[in-house]
Amino acid sequence: MLTIIYRLIILFISILIVWDMFKEKNAWNQLTCAMVLVPFILRMLMVK
Amino acid sequence: MKKNHIIAIGFIILSFLIAAVSGVSFIEKWKPDMIINGPGVTRTAHLSDYFPDLKGEYSDSTIYFLESENPGGTVFLLGGTHPNEPASMLSAVLLIENAIVNQGRLIVIPQANLSAFSHNDPQEASPQYIHFATDNGIRKFRYGSRATNPIHQWPDPDIYINQFGQSLSGGDNRNLNRGYPGNPSGNYTEKVCYAIMEFIRKEKCDLSIDLHEASPEYPVINAIVAHERSGDLASMAVMDLQMQDLEFNLEMSPPTFHGLTHREWGDFSDTLAILMESANASQGRLRGRTDEALALTGKDKMYVKAAQLGKLYVPYDENGHPIEERVGRHLTAMVTLINNMNLFYPEKTVEFSGVPSYQEINEKGYSSYLK
Repeated sequence: MLTIIYRLIILFISILIVWDMFKEKNAWNQLTCAMVLVPFILRMLMVK
Repeated sequence: MKKNHIIAIGFIILSFLIAAVSGVSFIEKWKPDMIINGPGVTRTAHLSDYFPDLKGEYSDSTIYFLESENPGGTVFLLGGTHPNEPASMLSAVLLIENAIVNQGRLIVIPQANLSAFSHNDPQEASPQYIHFATDNGIRKFRYGSRATNPIHQWPDPDIYINQFGQSLSGGDNRNLNRGYPGNPSGNYTEKVCYAIMEFIRKEKCDLSIDLHEASPEYPVINAIVAHERSGDLASMAVMDLQMQDLEFNLEMSPPTFHGLTHREWGDFSDTLAILMESANASQGRLRGRTDEALALTGKDKMYVKAAQLGKLYVPYDENGHPIEERVGRHLTAMVTLINNMNLFYPEKTVEFSGVPSYQEINEKGYSSYLK
């Protein structure tokens, strides 16, 4: 149960990151968001 | 569509591509290593046979039994407590693939913390694998982490308070050699510890040896650490090893240093508990380039410099400390401990063949003993 909640929190933060990428005008900041997103994807899938 | 939206979609696709490529690499490390049953292996079992809660779990490690029809003692060898200490697991694998027991029993767990083999430590630049060329092709073994994979046990507490009320760093709650004697209702790592303790108790192991490696700058190195009940045996073995030109420091297990094999195996079972350390530069903090070659050869100019400055607890030169030397030390010390146990307790004699000497391993190379 705790793992499911944990993964939902990661999914929520990942959505916020993606949301921010669309709001962001500066491409470098968008790239930064993309880099942050990678470990969140891996963690959400419990790969790493 | 706005320009920044197009860029965002491009970067999101890039993120997923990077995650896919790295994810495949991480998942590859979940695959088990190939360990071949040698002529002396009579049967195998799993930790879950001793603690059923581990059934179906990743960390349900295989136990290899090398048994004789002639009654005698039982010696247990544990490798792979810390998978970033490769000589530990490789010594156990060499025994499984080569040893033949003529009296008593030898029981080997080569990968104690199997979960820790399924990943390696972030930001350490550790190699993912180590390879050996054999007559039958390349044999590959995983170089893992010191601690249980966080996909199997999370989150880490800020402070890990062990079962004795002692405070350790939070990450140590995933360190197999801090969780003994284990707890059947504890965290994932403590359950593995409990399974190993149950195994020792149920199989009535007379002598139990836990193999490790240490950083060259760590004081407990090239050492045998003994529980107080194993002190006489270890003392005799250290003197025998000195006569073979192998220097070992004898350390007595501190009575209040809880959670470690050399303390809790002895306190919570009747076994004679021993822990051994060899010198491994690839886990040290002073190392330079970190790769497979460092793990296998120990050659590192930073450690040579550190030795010149008197900062190390082992001699260090440009020849490094190759895996053959480290495995040879472990196996020779193990044989010497068993020989002395046979003298102390003749009714618990364990006799075996097929284990190469220190000189043979160094001359022929480790890979020549792999099937």
